[in-house]
Amino acid sequence: MRTTDNNGREFDNTADDPRQRAELVTGGLGFADVTEVVSNVAERPRPPLAWYVALAISVSLLGVLGAMILYLFSTGVGVWNLNNPVCWGFDITNFVFWVGIGHAGTLISAILFLFRQKWRTGINRMAEAMTIFAVICALLFPGIHVGRVWLAYWMGPLPNQMAMWPQFRSPLLWDVFAVGTYFTVSLMFWYVGMIPDLATLRDRARGKIQQVAYGLLALGWTGSSRNWHRFEIAYLLLAALSTPLVLSVHSVVSFDFAVSQLPGWHTTIFPPYFVAGAIFGGFAMVVTLAVPSRALFGLKNVITLRHLENMNKIILVTGSMVGYAYAMEFFIAWYSGNLYERFTFMSRALGPFAWAYWTMIGCNVVAPQLFWFKFFRTHIWAMLLPVMCVNVGMWFERFVIIVTSLSADFLPSSWGGYYPSWVELLTLAGSFGLFMTLFLLFIRFLPSIAMAEIKTVMPQAEGKGPRGFDYNPDEYESPGRVLATGGSH
Amino acid sequence: MQHVIDISSDRLRLEEGRWQPLARRLQTAGLGAIVVALAIGAFGLESLLRAYVMNLCYYVSIALGALFFVLLQHLTRAGWSVVVRRLAELFTTAFPLLALLAAPAVLLILTGGLLGFPAAVHQVYPWTDAQYVAKEPLLQAKAPYLNAGFFAVRLAVYFAAWVGLSAWLLSRSLEQDRTGDPAITRGLGKWSAPAMYLFALTLTFFAFDVIMSLAPSWYSTIFGVYYFAGAMLSFCALLALTVHLLQRAGYMVRAVSVEHMHDVGKLVFAFVVFWSYIAFSQYMLIWYGNIPEETAWYAVRQTGGWIALSLLLLFGHFMLPFLMLISRAPKRRLQVLAGLACYVLVIHWLDIYYLVMPPYYFKLSDPGTAPFDLLGLLLAGLLAVGMGALLAGYVLRRMAMHPLIPERDPRLTESLAFTNI
Amino acid sequence: MSHTATAIDTRRTDGASDGGRRLHALLVEFETPSAIKEAARRIRDAGFVRWDTHTPFPVHGIDEQMGIQRTKLPLLVFACGAVGCLTGLVLQWWTNASNVDLPAALNFIRGYPFQVSGKPFWSLPANIPVIFELTVLFSAFGAVFGMLVLNDLPKHYNPLFRSQRFRRVTDDRFFLCVETADPSYDPQHTPALLRSLGGTAVEEVYDEPTPPAPTRIVNRVLVVLLCLALIPPAIIAKARVSRSDSPRIHLIQDMDNQEKFKTQRAYPLFADQRVMRLPVAGAVARGELGDDAHFERGIVGNGYAEQFPAHRPEVRLTAEFLQRGHDKYGVYCAPCHGFDGSGQGRINQRAIELEEPAWVAAAALTDAERRSRPVGHLFNTITNGIRTMGPYGDRISPEDRWAIVAYVRALQRAHYPRAGDLAAVENIGPRERDGGE
Repeated sequence: MRTTDNNGREFDNTADDPRQRAELVTGGLGFADVTEVVSNVAERPRPPLAWYVALAISVSLLGVLGAMILYLFSTGVGVWNLNNPVCWGFDITNFVFWVGIGHAGTLISAILFLFRQKWRTGINRMAEAMTIFAVICALLFPGIHVGRVWLAYWMGPLPNQMAMWPQFRSPLLWDVFAVGTYFTVSLMFWYVGMIPDLATLRDRARGKIQQVAYGLLALGWTGSSRNWHRFEIAYLLLAALSTPLVLSVHSVVSFDFAVSQLPGWHTTIFPPYFVAGAIFGGFAMVVTLAVPSRALFGLKNVITLRHLENMNKIILVTGSMVGYAYAMEFFIAWYSGNLYERFTFMSRALGPFAWAYWTMIGCNVVAPQLFWFKFFRTHIWAMLLPVMCVNVGMWFERFVIIVTSLSADFLPSSWGGYYPSWVELLTLAGSFGLFMTLFLLFIRFLPSIAMAEIKTVMPQAEGKGPRGFDYNPDEYESPGRVLATGGSH
Repeated sequence: MQHVIDISSDRLRLEEGRWQPLARRLQTAGLGAIVVALAIGAFGLESLLRAYVMNLCYYVSIALGALFFVLLQHLTRAGWSVVVRRLAELFTTAFPLLALLAAPAVLLILTGGLLGFPAAVHQVYPWTDAQYVAKEPLLQAKAPYLNAGFFAVRLAVYFAAWVGLSAWLLSRSLEQDRTGDPAITRGLGKWSAPAMYLFALTLTFFAFDVIMSLAPSWYSTIFGVYYFAGAMLSFCALLALTVHLLQRAGYMVRAVSVEHMHDVGKLVFAFVVFWSYIAFSQYMLIWYGNIPEETAWYAVRQTGGWIALSLLLLFGHFMLPFLMLISRAPKRRLQVLAGLACYVLVIHWLDIYYLVMPPYYFKLSDPGTAPFDLLGLLLAGLLAVGMGALLAGYVLRRMAMHPLIPERDPRLTESLAFTNI
Repeated sequence: MSHTATAIDTRRTDGASDGGRRLHALLVEFETPSAIKEAARRIRDAGFVRWDTHTPFPVHGIDEQMGIQRTKLPLLVFACGAVGCLTGLVLQWWTNASNVDLPAALNFIRGYPFQVSGKPFWSLPANIPVIFELTVLFSAFGAVFGMLVLNDLPKHYNPLFRSQRFRRVTDDRFFLCVETADPSYDPQHTPALLRSLGGTAVEEVYDEPTPPAPTRIVNRVLVVLLCLALIPPAIIAKARVSRSDSPRIHLIQDMDNQEKFKTQRAYPLFADQRVMRLPVAGAVARGELGDDAHFERGIVGNGYAEQFPAHRPEVRLTAEFLQRGHDKYGVYCAPCHGFDGSGQGRINQRAIELEEPAWVAAAALTDAERRSRPVGHLFNTITNGIRTMGPYGDRISPEDRWAIVAYVRALQRAHYPRAGDLAAVENIGPRERDGGE
């Protein structure tokens, strides 16, 4: 299988020529080649050494997470440095961070699907898996920070002897419903999309265990056109449902802060600003995961440079939206004339947490601007610089919002400080272990690329040559007479 | 299964001789309506000024929607929309006239009012009233921003940016009609990205300056996005309506298919939902926080006759269009879609009305201090017709000068062959 | 690529050909999407019903070629969404805003309206997020499970899987399958028709009379799992209806047993062995001198005061003072004694409904006994409590206690007006509604 062009470089399909659409699968691959390349990841007898190393590190971190949670449960929430007034610290910062990471997956699988962005097919499966795992990490934090975890089921609308119900006017309860729904729907979306590819693995499986496992998971899929018809409609509907859902989830997360009256929290732009930030951070994570995955498992022909470039452009766009929201917050804080609002924002920029604030600005607003340059968008090592900055910056964004506003609100006598305890630091590190462990297992055992979907965007699917729309300048000689070929009815 | 879409028989140019007289009549009628409104407005200068600002914001929002649409199509290298992009480009030619229409209002604020207007200007934009500002510490804090001179400069900058952007986009597109040079498409794609920054900032601050500052103690960080949502919604509706009218008159019948209109319909639906999302976010957060200087803005809109308008928007701007547009059929039947588009344009007009017309001064304990202004409604209606006809005539003239689709756009073939799933 | 159709492939998937098997379907293999679209159109035109095409990915345009009707799935999803929307609405209204009487056995699902941060019980803006989420959740369930059911999935046995060739259907081959059960199937003509379609191969697929062993195992495992899944809900149901005298399992100590000294306990290190320390003799906390017995304890001489302490500027029998009493009464007294002083407060009602054994019914403040008591007595009861009613002296200031007493007097008089009171009220005109309730 060729992964480089005649000059030994990676296939570069990032050229912008309006006369034709760039190819999304390079190396001249056909249907069977795509199946082979993707299935190979799950079928090869042993993955590359790097996978084992990564898994070893991830599982160790996962163990650390388990130990920290056990320590927290056995000793109490006092092992964290939360205090009055900073009653939310690393726990909720991590929660919002992880929920946000998940959003890019839904954006790629649902919103880009509705926008008919065909390049999504190369990365959507991986991004959806990332969504699921990120939401698992996110759900962990509100779960463990409630203090008496064994009573967490009180958040559900379960009747009890006292005839007391959850308090539905609280945004924290909306969170339970929003994140729960998001997890469920994302899981279904991911699984439904995976059914045809699981069938591929089933039909290729050699060992008995694989046959039974993939056979059960594939639900007896035969690729019937009557099934495909309903499958596509269901997929479209799920995309149409997931799109407002993904907006609502981070909006609800933002309500946790914005319904209060705390300066720096109570501001109306929070819902769309959080959504944009979530997608921004999530895309950075997708690029972070896609770059090593494609290199390790020989997927460079299906996750091409163009895929990465497009994602980097989205990082630039959403990063700019986030920058817009920062600017609006700052401007309106001044414009409001409200002393407390003005103080909070000045304190963010110049106060004790200024280091966190300027880390956030540098990573989220300044670093993505590098993506104005094609060099940074299309060179692996160059793109990892801003992408890593964004991963860090988006965590700090939540930290800045939560901690600065809580630590210094209306009354100077009730101000306080905050720094994390070693338990909080290790819990954060451990959550990455959980995330990476799940992701590494996924990429090894499940179809990590949506094979069936990629095949639909290959030119061969429309019975054409390798180019979808061929541009012939002669046809444009006389304005008003345009011939188009293509389409099916 | 491959087939050929031949649009050589399509009529893709408005004949000047046929349409210029209509454009002239429209402009005359529009000017007439405006004059009548000004005459009636002598009886209620505050209502007149509000109605004028309100309609200005309405028509500016549609033109801004068109400008955004064009920029977005270039930025995303969109294929499907090429056949309708020229119409959007032509809508944006309204900006010079809109700037001209804005000039008297800006002048009035700059000069502090003429001919008995000071009181009205002070009522509509309280921050222009030095005596009132002297009493209000909050307004004094904003005085470096909210003052007549800076206001006029900012509006001049916004309109200059929009006129410049729209002229550049149209001229490059027309240049491609002549040369067929694909490099033009590439250049537009490249420069539309920084242009988006300019667009976002000018739109936001236009909304802050002209609408939000009507209630100078009120503030909402989402307000620019709110105005943008309505702008895009009304533009998409106008696009659907225009295509329908043009096709009824026999133009671009083959070039624009039901597939394209289905997509425009989806955009209308999407922005109905997006508007609702933004409107709900703003309302819910302010309702929940219940901070006096924020809730006052909604309180006046839930007082007296204004509550009816608020409820009308809840049902009419969200629920009704949502239910009407959710299924596939109405989006694929152009007549139905055009009818819905008319409805959306009216309801968006009411949305702007809701933003601009309610008074700033009122007492919660006495709803009578914020009466529903019937004279204002009459004037707003008259000015809507007047400005609308004037602008329609103006844009129609420009439409008759150029082809209705970008004839040699490299993605035209793709657009013509476009089908939905 | 070769389009020559081979002869009918009579090779069975595992070589056996006993009489128990029957011919299930004929498969034709194609290499390109356009080839199968063309073939599909011909089969549809031939009038077959029980036939299908199988492809590695959704081939666009094949729906029209096969004559597939647009699915009704969107309608189903819309209906599910509507149900979800209603569920969210009713759930929140019922649990947080309704107070409907139910039979005692159903009390555990009764609604419980309670006030939070000054929001109304029925706060629609705050209920929108949950309504929305449930709408999406139910719709998504409708889309996924509707699709699966309509597609007849999961289906763990399908005769087509007996074909080795068919395994490439999820890779790069396109198949057309006509079942022998089709009314138009003809053993002579149909194979000939299929051979003429231009496929690369035509294959017969045979079915067994009974499902094969793996399918049976899967079914049994599923049944066992289902039975096991019923155990936890059964245990919960049993726990709900049965009683137990043994203490609950205290796996996590929670805050029930803390390492600290509680009030009124012994403490060996102090000479008097008490945890609680006494103030230095003669110390008086600021504002706690207590030299005005009438104002602070309701006592004049050796008995309860008959009059309000009019010598204090805080106590003035004005409308504002009564309003303050009304407010404080609503906060502290009304939950048990009721807003009208009848003793039918919400807590009282509930305790009686639940037949709480330790509950002493709240007194009716308007009965003859309480009407005859001196104000100082009422004041003393608020301050120090009586029977099971706790003392409120530590949380209500003296002037507010007097305001409450004044308001209680007003309530009593409202229940038992004196001559002339009614006429005075009528002169005021229609009563203005109070904004507080």
